[in-house]
Amino acid sequence: MNLNNFIETEDLTKLYSTGRIEVVALKDVTLSVRRGEFLGVTGPSGSGKSTLMNLLGGLDTPSAGCIRVDGKYISDLNKEELAIYRRCQVGMIFQSFNLISSYTALENVAFPLLFAGVAKKERKIQAEQVLTKVGLGNRKGHLSTELSGGEQQRVAVARALINQPKILLADEPTGNLDSKTSRAIVQMLSDLNKNQGLTVIMISHEESLLAEFADKVIGLCDGRVV
Amino acid sequence: MKISDYIEQSFANLWRKKLRTFLTTFGVVIGIGALVSMISFGKGVQKNITDQFKEMELFNYISVSASSSSRGNHHDPDEQPSAEDEYLAPQSIGVSEPNILDDTFIRKVTQLKGVESAFPEVRFPAMIRFKGKEEFTFIQVLPAYICQSELMKLRAGESYTSDDANSIIISDSMLRRMRIKNHQDVIGQEVELSTLTLNFNFLNLANIASLTVGRSDPNSRSVNKLPFASKKYTFTIVGVAERMGFGGAIPLRSDVYIPPGPSQRMEKLSLTSIWDFFQSPGRIKGYSSVSVRVSSAKYIEPVKKQIQSWGFKTFVLLDQLEEMKKAFIIMDMFLFAVGMIAIVVASLGIINTMVMSILERYKEIGIAKAVGASDRDVKKIFFFESGMIGFLGGVFGLILGWVVSMIINLIVNSIASRQGVPYVNYFSFPWGLCLGAVVFSIFVSLAAGIYPTMRAARVDPVVALRHD
Repeated sequence: MNLNNFIETEDLTKLYSTGRIEVVALKDVTLSVRRGEFLGVTGPSGSGKSTLMNLLGGLDTPSAGCIRVDGKYISDLNKEELAIYRRCQVGMIFQSFNLISSYTALENVAFPLLFAGVAKKERKIQAEQVLTKVGLGNRKGHLSTELSGGEQQRVAVARALINQPKILLADEPTGNLDSKTSRAIVQMLSDLNKNQGLTVIMISHEESLLAEFADKVIGLCDGRVV
Repeated sequence: MKISDYIEQSFANLWRKKLRTFLTTFGVVIGIGALVSMISFGKGVQKNITDQFKEMELFNYISVSASSSSRGNHHDPDEQPSAEDEYLAPQSIGVSEPNILDDTFIRKVTQLKGVESAFPEVRFPAMIRFKGKEEFTFIQVLPAYICQSELMKLRAGESYTSDDANSIIISDSMLRRMRIKNHQDVIGQEVELSTLTLNFNFLNLANIASLTVGRSDPNSRSVNKLPFASKKYTFTIVGVAERMGFGGAIPLRSDVYIPPGPSQRMEKLSLTSIWDFFQSPGRIKGYSSVSVRVSSAKYIEPVKKQIQSWGFKTFVLLDQLEEMKKAFIIMDMFLFAVGMIAIVVASLGIINTMVMSILERYKEIGIAKAVGASDRDVKKIFFFESGMIGFLGGVFGLILGWVVSMIINLIVNSIASRQGVPYVNYFSFPWGLCLGAVVFSIFVSLAAGIYPTMRAARVDPVVALRHD
């Protein structure tokens, strides 16, 4: 492994067992991402993109191989350590936004700070600042269900940024958005990458967007890098 | 996460489903309310008995009765003298056979160290007539000095000062039965007592014949054509006493008290039961029982042994206390078990609510884990929710239990007061019970929350995030 790389995977494999049938989601994936790099991941449905994202985000553990982030093997971490990793190092954005519908935009953004032990008053201040940064300062009191798709995704971006992560993982963030809004969201991620040096890994079917904004694009097919 | 965050988060989550939270908590409220009422009833009964005994210093009393089987001295000649025997030795007095509970016994027992007083318990049946109303009761003969002691709780008037006074003390419960409310009004008024006497003249041929044909001599005072006659005596009411709530082997347990002087002059049958009647022929004359009062509970044991050595039976409430405590524990356990049924049902309600909550918030748990919540954080959030249901259920259950107990107390006392029974608080709410109820409620709720909490912590975030 190259110590100059910020994120590295080596022979990363993930198998899912459903009864007697064993499904290979990822097979011997080896890749590397430099600090501050914007990596695009593309591929057809079922190619293993989301599995790769879950493994890099510490939501899942590999069946074989290893993942090294900022010099630490996260594939060796236990459940508690993985929770800390997700809390401090990673921000995640999903296609379906994954906001809590009964929470306001502000409460959704402040939610990760709850588990970081930040005081209530401070949580509110920080969430307001980040919401303003993504252009939703005036929508903080609205429930997520009262927001448009683009606004919801911006709330999700704000939530991903609240803990000041080093890595931003975006799993098809434009999948539920129109082309104009999609472009605005990817532009926002690109700006964060350029201006704040955030390492971004984005999954997308839209190869044109990746080609425009990503520093490097890899393709996955049947769980392998192609 | 901070404790305040867990509490706030749990409260907010419960508040989101107000109706379900209310219904679940209400189940706990009913459970704890039932448990608290049950236990407070047990505690109330215990408190009433022990408090009343302590207040009246009944643990300082020895009730002595004549023994038919254990006559004579029970001292074992081979036995080494104990410290207790040494205490008794200088004052040990032999009692001539057969042992009789008479004034000689009373004089002798009062000479024992630690004995403050001894008085016979003489009770006889009589009919009391006052203001046109009649009540059957047992008259207790009580020396004036006992009447003037703290044992006698007066509501109006005063105790009689002489053993020879033609005075009577009547209880408030007796007046209540006679529908007389103002105690002060009866002081100084005259009351008539009718005693029963045996009329052996009745058992002649003429009377037996009249009994068989259904006629009787109009001049005869015979009662209901049986070999009894009645005698009337008039007394002046000097005081109204408070009736004790509980009976038992205690010195004062009647509704009417008179001094020994007039009692001795009265013709009467000193029968308190049919057993006395059958035992009366050839029976040794004497009192049926004598109450001995000691200055301190430490004298109970030596005085009791001395009296037993004279061949009398003794009854000491202090001895019964340990037995009473065992009975109280059994009663508490029974009441607790009955109350626990409601708690078990409430626990099932909590489990159901929490499992439903997990299913509804499945995706939310996944989101929480994705943004950095550990399994422990998720567990704690759900544990706090269970605990909060328990806390609210405990507090409101305690209030419900108290309110229900007070209502029951009110109803029972209002019914009992019509029967002349004095007011008794049947429920007791010591601080330990109040605090224990809330703590127990939280504990049970947390226990009920274990399974749902474990289930919530096991939620796979990858699966949960895909969940709709």
